Amino acid sequence: MPRASLAAWLLLLVSGCVFAAPAPTPALTLRSAEAAPSDWNATAPPVTGWVPVTLPEDWSHRWPRHDGVVWYRLTWQQANADRPIGLLINQVTLADAVYVNGSLIHRDPSLVEPLSRSWVKPQYFVVDAPTLRVGTNTLLVRVSGFAHYQPGLGVVSVGAPAAVYTQYHAGWLIRYQLRLYNQAFFLAMGVVFLVLWLFRPRDTLYGWFAASTLLIGAWDWNNVAPSTWPFASTDAFQSWNMVFYVAGTVALAVFLLRFCGKRWPRIEAALWAYTGAVALCAAFAPHLLGVWRFQLAPIDIALYFAVPVAFIGYALRKRQPEMLILALCLALPLLAIVHDVLRFFEVIRDRAYIASITAPFTLIGMSVVLAHRFAAAMRQVEDFNYQLRARVDSATARLSETLGREHRLALANAQIGARLDLVRDLHDGFGGSLVSAIATLEHGPAGVNRDAHAVDTLKSLRDDLHLVINATTHAVSGGLAEPLESLRHRWSERLDAAGIASDWRLVGLDRLQLPPGQSLDVLRFVQEALTNVLKHSGATQVHVDVQCAGATLEVEIRDDGRGFDPSSHPAGAGLASLASRARRLNAKLVVDAAPGCGACLRMDVPLM
Amino acid sequence: MTVPQPISLSRALIVEDNEPGQRRLLGLMETLVGEGLAITVAGSVEEAKAAARARVFDVGLVDIGLPDGNGVDLIAWLRTWHPGIACLVITAWGDGDTVLAALRAGAIGYLLKDRDDAELSLALQNIQRGGAPIDPFVARRILTVLPGAAPAPKTETLAGEALSEREHQILDLVAHGHNNRQIAELTGLSRFTIEDYTKRIYRKLAVGSRAAAVFEAQARGLLR
Repeated sequence: MPRASLAAWLLLLVSGCVFAAPAPTPALTLRSAEAAPSDWNATAPPVTGWVPVTLPEDWSHRWPRHDGVVWYRLTWQQANADRPIGLLINQVTLADAVYVNGSLIHRDPSLVEPLSRSWVKPQYFVVDAPTLRVGTNTLLVRVSGFAHYQPGLGVVSVGAPAAVYTQYHAGWLIRYQLRLYNQAFFLAMGVVFLVLWLFRPRDTLYGWFAASTLLIGAWDWNNVAPSTWPFASTDAFQSWNMVFYVAGTVALAVFLLRFCGKRWPRIEAALWAYTGAVALCAAFAPHLLGVWRFQLAPIDIALYFAVPVAFIGYALRKRQPEMLILALCLALPLLAIVHDVLRFFEVIRDRAYIASITAPFTLIGMSVVLAHRFAAAMRQVEDFNYQLRARVDSATARLSETLGREHRLALANAQIGARLDLVRDLHDGFGGSLVSAIATLEHGPAGVNRDAHAVDTLKSLRDDLHLVINATTHAVSGGLAEPLESLRHRWSERLDAAGIASDWRLVGLDRLQLPPGQSLDVLRFVQEALTNVLKHSGATQVHVDVQCAGATLEVEIRDDGRGFDPSSHPAGAGLASLASRARRLNAKLVVDAAPGCGACLRMDVPLM
Repeated sequence: MTVPQPISLSRALIVEDNEPGQRRLLGLMETLVGEGLAITVAGSVEEAKAAARARVFDVGLVDIGLPDGNGVDLIAWLRTWHPGIACLVITAWGDGDTVLAALRAGAIGYLLKDRDDAELSLALQNIQRGGAPIDPFVARRILTVLPGAAPAPKTETLAGEALSEREHQILDLVAHGHNNRQIAELTGLSRFTIEDYTKRIYRKLAVGSRAAAVFEAQARGLLR
C-alpha cells in the first residue's frame, strides 16, 4: 500500500512538471549590433562612427587603446506589444546604462572611475508598453570600460519573460550565486585552519593551507565584487587581484611541498620574490599590471598548472593513499582551469569561468586529507597516551611493590633493632644482676644462706638468658648455626669437665633461617636435654644431632646413661618442658629410653 | 714447636669493684694456687695503678666497668708501664668487642663472669699452664679484623701481621663451636700446639694495635 501510493505520487509529480512547463516561445538571441565609441561623460550616443559588430564583442580588438564608453545599438522586431517581454543582457564589462526605445531602464551606480563591476552577473529586465512598441524596437547599451580589462558586451536575449528569466537565472546561479557561496566557504575553511595553525604554530602545514585558501578566496572576490571596494580604482582592484592570485598559488605550492615533507628553499624564494614584485607593482604602479596583463598571464597560468601537475606526478610515484586523494582533488580543477584559460584568451566565448565552481570540491578534498592527517596524529597521541598510562601504571605498581618490600624490610629491621635493644638491656641489667646474685649466693659472706637449689635456679635462668641473647643477636645474621655453635662450645667444655664426651653433628644449618622464637625453642630444647644428661643420666658419652633435611629439622640427643622407663617416669619437669617445647615447634617429642640402655630424645620440626 | 710458657698466678692483682665478684675470684685463686698466694684487690683504676707501682705482680685480673675508668685502658697502661704483668680481662656475657679491645690492648686472655665457677677454674688453670682459651664469638670477631691468609677481605683490617693459613683454620674451627680437644682431633695437632696458635693470634692482635699506637704517638709528637 505505501509503495503504491508512493508510485502514484511520483507519477503525479512527473506529470505535474510536464504540464506545468508549457513549451515556451523560444527566446530570440541577438548577436548583431552596431557600436560607436565616445568619452567617459557622454550622455547621448554619438551620431556618427557606428560600426557593425557581432556579439559577444571585446572592443579592445577594434579600439585597442580606447578607455571610456562604447555605445551598442541593437534592434529587434516585435509583432505585438500586448504582453511584456523579458530582456537579458548576458554580460557587460564593466559598467552600463540601458535604454529601450530611448527610455532609460537601468543604470549602474558608478559609470566613471571607480567603475561599478556589473560584469559579475547577467542583467534581466521586463519591458512593457508603452516603452515596448510594435515593429522595430531599439536597445541601446552604454558600456564603460578599460581596454586592458576586456571591455565589451555579451549576447542579448529577448522573448517571453519566463523563458528569458530561466536563462538569466541559470547564468546568475553559476556566475554569481555559487561564487558568493564559495566566498563564504573559502573564508570559513581558511579561518578554521588559520586558527588551528595559530594554536599549533609548529604544524606549518595548516598555516600554508590556510594562507592558500584565504588568498585564493580573495582572488575569487573578483567574481562577485559589485564595486572596486576596498580599492580606489579599477587598476588597483585588478592588480591586487593578480597579487592574490599569485600569492595564493605560491602558498599552495609551499603547502604541497610541506605535505610531501619537502623544502625547496631556492625555488620557494624565487616564487616569493615574484610575488613580492607583483605586490610592489600593485602598490605603486597598478596601471602597469593592467598594461602587462596578457604578457604576465602565461607565467601565472604556468604556475597554476605546474604546481598541481608536479604534485600529481609525485603522488603517482609515491602511491600513498593520502597523496593520491589530494592529487585527485587537484586534478579535477585542472580541467576546469583548461576551460577557463581558453575562455580568458577568448578561444571559447560566451561562457562563464568555472574554475571557482570546482574550487569547493578541491577544498573539501584537501580538508578531508588534512583532517585525516590530524585524526591520525590524534590517534597516535591517544595510543601513546594509552601506552604511557600502561607504562606509568606498571612503573607505579613496581614502585609500590619496591616501597612495600622496603617498608617490610625496614619494619623487620626495626623489629630486630628493638629486640637487640631489649636484649642489650637484659644483658646489662638483668644478666649482671643474675651473675652477681649467683656470686653472692656462692661466695657471699659467711652469714648468707647458701641455698644450692636457688643457685641452680639462678644458673638455669642465666643459661636461658644466654640462649635468648644468642638467638636474638644471631637472628640478625640469620641462621641457627651460630647460636648452636656457641652452645656446642659451651657445653662441650661443661660436659668435658663432667667427664662426658660429647659428639656433635650439625648438618645443613648454614642456610637455615628460622623466626627468632623458633630458633630459641630449638636451642632451649637442646640445652634442656643436655642439662638432663649432665644432671641425671650418669652417661659417659652423648651424641647431639641437629640436621636440616629437606623440609624437616631433625633434632636428636642420645646418651649411654642409665636410662629410664618413659611410661613410669615420674614425668620430671624436664621431660614435660621438652614435650611442650616440641609442641610449640609443631613437632612431637619422641622418647626412646629404657632403664639401663641410655635415652634418646628426638623431635622432627617441620619447616614452613 | 714452642713449649708453653707457664704463667704464675701467685702474685695476683685483682681489679674488681663488685664485692661478691672479688670474693668469687679470691676463692677461685685460693683453690687453684693454695700456698704462697699473694693477692691484692683494687676497687678502682687509681688503686690498681698505685698497687702496680708499689708491688710486683705476675698476673692481673681486670674487670671492664670500674668506677673511675675503663679496664681496657688500665690494661694498656699496665702493658706499657709494667709489661711483666700478664693481664686477663674479666667481662660478662660474651661481649666480643670488649674482649677484642682488651686483647689489642695487650691482654693475654679473658674470663667470662657468667660462667660457672668450675668453668672459670678450668680457664685459669689453662692460663696457668701457658694456654689461651678462646670462644667462638671471640674467634668470629678476630676473623673479621685480622687480615686473612687468603679469603678474608682486605678492608677493615688492622695494620698488623696477617693470619697464617693454619691460624685461620683454627679460628674457623673455634668459630664453629669446636673446643680444643675436638680441634686437636680434627687437625691432628696437639692441644698445646693449638693453644700456642691461639696465643700467637692474640699477640698478633696486640702487635697490630701497638704498631698503630706507636704511629699515633709519633704523629702526636709524644715520641721522638
